[in-house]
Amino acid sequence: MSQSPIKPDRQSPPGMPRWVKVFVILFIVLILVVIALHLTGTNIGGHIPHMP
Amino acid sequence: MVMNPNLRKFVRTAHITVAVGWLGAVASFLVLAVTGLTSPDTQLVRAAYLATDLLTRYIILPLSLVPLLLTGPVLSLGTPWGLFRHYWIVVKLLINILSTLILLVHLQPISYLAQVAAERTLSSADRDVQVQLVAAAAAGLLALLVETALAVFKPRGLTPYGWRKKNEELDLSSSSDIST
Repeated sequence: MSQSPIKPDRQSPPGMPRWVKVFVILFIVLILVVIALHLTGTNIGGHIPHMP
Repeated sequence: MVMNPNLRKFVRTAHITVAVGWLGAVASFLVLAVTGLTSPDTQLVRAAYLATDLLTRYIILPLSLVPLLLTGPVLSLGTPWGLFRHYWIVVKLLINILSTLILLVHLQPISYLAQVAAERTLSSADRDVQVQLVAAAAAGLLALLVETALAVFKPRGLTPYGWRKKNEELDLSSSSDIST
């Protein structure tokens, strides 16, 4: 008995892979951490002091 | 447009060379920035910040722009991979753009510390900027390592655009098969 190969559904594109979702979540968390640090005044680095 | 194999190998060699060089230069920058932040030797600290400025202007900045503006797009668009067809290429491009933007933002603090180092010993008022350079270099190095891993592993996943283009090509090849 021969079976025809299953053809992908061309109507709907595949969803976003899990690793991309993880990247997006990490990026959003990173942005939120930076915003939180700025709002709490815990600035990584800071402004350049004026040259004497 | 698909490049011929020799041209493709040439562009790929240039792309890998530049990308690996960028990674190495950022690692060197991190060593200098950590030395500048932690060393008790004031002469060594001043030398380190003068070196970071030269390294940034003549190595890191050019090496960051070549893969972003030249070899990356040429390699993607000149091969079946495309620039927006696969998620790993899109993510790599975004990391590249972000890394270059962060680098451009830090040009001013880097040249500030080099200017200070050329004139006098650094003071506690410069501490924040010194920490900023270490944090930026560490983040940049991590981003470049992620980019390298993406280029090697090429994780699966077609974007909606890539999926559409693939279907168009399949339709085209099947219709040409029928006509022959």
